[in-house]
Amino acid sequence: MCLPTIIIMMLTEPWMQRAFLTALLLAPLCALLGVFVTARRMAFFSDTISHAGLTGVAVGVWLGLADPTLPLIAVSLAVAAAIFWLKENTSLVTDSIMALLLSGSVAVGVILLKMLKTRPGDLYGFLFGDLLAGGWREVWQAAGLCVIVSIGIFLNLSSLSLVTAHEEMAQVCGIRVRGLNYAFVIVLTLTVALTIRLLGIILVTSLLVIPPATAGNLSRNLRQQILLSIAAGGIGAIGGLVVAYQLDVPCGAAIVLTCLGLFILTLVGARVRNAWTSRVSRAASTPVA
Amino acid sequence: MTSHSHSASHGADVPAIDVRDLRVSLGGVAVLRGVNFVVPAGQLVALIGPNGSGKTTLLRALLGLQKFHGGVIRLFGETNLRAGLARVGYVPQRMDLERSFILSVREFLALRLPATRHWFWLSKRRTDSLIRESLAEIGVEALLDKPLAQLSGGQLQRVLIAFSLLQRPDLLLLDEPTAGVDAPGEETFYELIAGIQKRHRMTVVLVSHDLSMVYRHANRVYALNGVMCCEGTPDEIMNAESLKEAFGIHVSPYHHHHDAH
Repeated sequence: MCLPTIIIMMLTEPWMQRAFLTALLLAPLCALLGVFVTARRMAFFSDTISHAGLTGVAVGVWLGLADPTLPLIAVSLAVAAAIFWLKENTSLVTDSIMALLLSGSVAVGVILLKMLKTRPGDLYGFLFGDLLAGGWREVWQAAGLCVIVSIGIFLNLSSLSLVTAHEEMAQVCGIRVRGLNYAFVIVLTLTVALTIRLLGIILVTSLLVIPPATAGNLSRNLRQQILLSIAAGGIGAIGGLVVAYQLDVPCGAAIVLTCLGLFILTLVGARVRNAWTSRVSRAASTPVA
Repeated sequence: MTSHSHSASHGADVPAIDVRDLRVSLGGVAVLRGVNFVVPAGQLVALIGPNGSGKTTLLRALLGLQKFHGGVIRLFGETNLRAGLARVGYVPQRMDLERSFILSVREFLALRLPATRHWFWLSKRRTDSLIRESLAEIGVEALLDKPLAQLSGGQLQRVLIAFSLLQRPDLLLLDEPTAGVDAPGEETFYELIAGIQKRHRMTVVLVSHDLSMVYRHANRVYALNGVMCCEGTPDEIMNAESLKEAFGIHVSPYHHHHDAH
């Protein structure tokens, strides 16, 4: 069976339609944000706020909520704020602050969930993603986030790029760096919180890191990197869902592995291309004897 | 011609930088203890001092990056630092860019200009003319399409200067500009800066920890060590007793030659 036929077959199922839409909205959005997350060395930061989501889930269970999205966002934002506060008011190294909060919030979440008598099986979806269980509500949330964040990013693209390149130069150029940084962290936290449903707490950071790296293998400038990263996120999401459907494996892990496969392909491709162009240029510059 | 010289003389009355009694403490340590720093417009000056003398703190205060506890800073007579900074170009010492961030030189320079702010949507042709001109002046037009993170220290330095010249600033501040450059490159670099300064009739402040580097090109030298120790022409500064006392070292423009054991 060829790929289009498989996809059309998959799309006849309503739950798969929702999964496709959610994945196609969130994966490219993560890939777009990821270009700046990796350039600003914030991958560990996003890992920390996603792990804080475990405490958020526990709070949701405690409050008896069917959908823990709100407590999840609240706890993640609180941990992000704690990271900022500790960074500005202590002499701790940033990595230590994040490691402290990551392990701390996971520990709190585990104890809370045990006290609430949650079975480990119920947590599987939060840890590793459970895209297929999502309803239309999740699709609308993802669509809303995607529209708002994309508009915000593209309206502030120049400022964001300059702040990423050199914060102090950006400030001297009149950009309100502090406000932009806070806005970026809030946007990142919201995106991570909603993407947990797609990939799970453990895997969510991979969607911020792998597509920008894949795009980096092929790009000569930032415009290319941004567009290719969005494309790599989208292809990884669709490919992952197809693989998950065909092989009956969890879709979060399948999406991550598809993204990784694309990364390896482009890495090898870029190496081969570079070797080829340098050989051609060497041959061209060698004088004929 | 008369109107031009009139406006020029009017502008010359106002110093480019006018810092009075500036006080800054960092972590309980008084780094700047009442610094006075007045730079007349249209000069190429050097701000020197040993490590920990507060050069960087003074520079950061001028750029609005450092809060100060006392004193006044005026840029071109303007106490509103934000307004004054619109006329300032800043060349930082280095750029700690992640290699995975593929920002090209063309895109980087486009971030500085309102006309090219929408570089992402614009065609190359529409962002190009101003950017090429600026790179050509510094002699690095060939770097236009290179990713910023792949440049050598010297190339990056020049691109940073091109960036800061794009808005035609009246004051250019350079922080340890030759830190990553070798000795022959250094000489070329100072000639480049001196040329730019003359062509654009701008004020240039070079911050450096080494007097010998700036000796030949600066019109005026300011020696800082918590307070402004002394200022004058390079020759006056070389012979100033107060400088030797404050710096605790023998300052000489030729000290490289005495280094041999």
